[in-house]
Amino acid sequence: MTMQNTVMVVDDEVMVTAALRSFLELETSYRVLGYTSARAALDALQTESVDVIVADFMMPEMDGITFLKAARDSRPLTSRVLLTGYADKENAIRAINDAGLYYYLEKPWNNDHLRLVIRNGIERSSLFNELDSRVAALESAHMELHGVRRRLLQAFR
Amino acid sequence: MRSDAPADAGFDDPLADRVNEARLATLGLLVAGLVHEINTPLGAINSNHDVLRRALGKLQDILADEVVEPHELDEVRRIVRAVDGILRVNDLAVERMRGLVSNLRNFGRIDGSGTDMADLHEGIDSTLAILAHELRPISVVKEFGELPRVPCRPQQVNQVFMNLLMNARQATPDGGSITIRTARLGDAVQVQISDTGAGIPSGQLGRIFEPGFTTRDGRIGMGLGLAICRQIVDRHGGRLHAASEPGRGATFTLHLPLVQPPRIEETVQRSPDRTEASHDEANSDTR
Ligand SMILES: Nc1ncnc2c1ncn2[C@@H]1O[C@H](COP(=O)(O)OP(=O)(O)O)[C@@H](O)[C@H]1O
Ligand SMILES: [Mg+2]
Repeated sequence: MTMQNTVMVVDDEVMVTAALRSFLELETSYRVLGYTSARAALDALQTESVDVIVADFMMPEMDGITFLKAARDSRPLTSRVLLTGYADKENAIRAINDAGLYYYLEKPWNNDHLRLVIRNGIERSSLFNELDSRVAALESAHMELHGVRRRLLQAFR
Repeated sequence: MRSDAPADAGFDDPLADRVNEARLATLGLLVAGLVHEINTPLGAINSNHDVLRRALGKLQDILADEVVEPHELDEVRRIVRAVDGILRVNDLAVERMRGLVSNLRNFGRIDGSGTDMADLHEGIDSTLAILAHELRPISVVKEFGELPRVPCRPQQVNQVFMNLLMNARQATPDGGSITIRTARLGDAVQVQISDTGAGIPSGQLGRIFEPGFTTRDGRIGMGLGLAICRQIVDRHGGRLHAASEPGRGATFTLHLPLVQPPRIEETVQRSPDRTEASHDEANSDTR
């Protein structure tokens, strides 16, 4: 039994969050968190652990890239996907590298493509998580060795 | 095409050319916004349509083997829930598109560009709806008073609202606000559009209504928005003024008379006579 993966969907239009939710709930077993406010979504990220975030570009409170950058600060290992309207494409692409995004999708999106991007995003996040815990393990092993070495040196002084 | 291009035989009035350029530039912005507005409901319906097809496929699979197992009932309930949500979203999406179409129709007054007794609030609202995409990062405050219907050419008056709102938007950084106030003042109505943008330096206040005056980098058709507004308002027997506190914003005040002027002339396009006449008033803008 694996842990249920969580996808966060953020768009100021409830139409979009609801459509994405309908699709993901019908076709996948992911837990779906939908937000129409970027601020509320950032608050939720303080407590929720999320594997993939899909966010709209054009939102009133803050644009999708600002939101996804802020999301990186609290959840650096989460894969972040930008959903853009055709008209925003150029701006969006320019900002994608800057914000270290995983992917961008154009509206209207294709559901199969969306599912693939989310699935790969989840895999990517879990690899990062694994890498992160391995690195942490290595670091603590290193610290431990360091301690052992120091104690040995003291013993033989 | 710039106005300094060699004049064609058929186009002996450079101002008329540039008025059309200005209209095209506005139209270009408008279309970009509309594409975006339509894309949201379209995206939702497009996805929902696909999900409905998938849901139907799942139901057909369940029904294919004649007997519905108890555990399959849970799946059926899940599908029904999804379909229910989809229908509700589609209602919203269809409603949104219906609204867009009706606003566009209202804005353009396809039913005629003639003189009418117009509800200015309706004109402002449909202009705001059309600019919804442009204005999203700005908060728009409406302080509408009681207004009687106004004798005017609604299509032209909407063009004035459009230009003033676009200028306000362009001057105002994201997160700023635009306030629209309306009131009746005796036998005239007043519409005031204020923004919290950059404002207008006092040295420029007297010049902004001149055709071709612009502080934007030389894109086609620029610098005519306010000249066109002035001309339209003049022809309605009304007045248009600007006031500004540089750094804190600008306010444009429009007065239209409630008494039908003797004749509201043809559109700017059809009789492109010079706007010099309105220059004289420019000084009165430094109030
Ligand atoms: N709301 C406003 N706030 C600040 N400046 C404004 C505003 N409206 C107009 N202006 C100034 O007036 C100039 C002329 O406006 P307009 O005739 O609409 O032409 P354009 O918008 O193409 O420059 C603008 O370039 C700008 O400098
Ligand atoms: Mg303008």
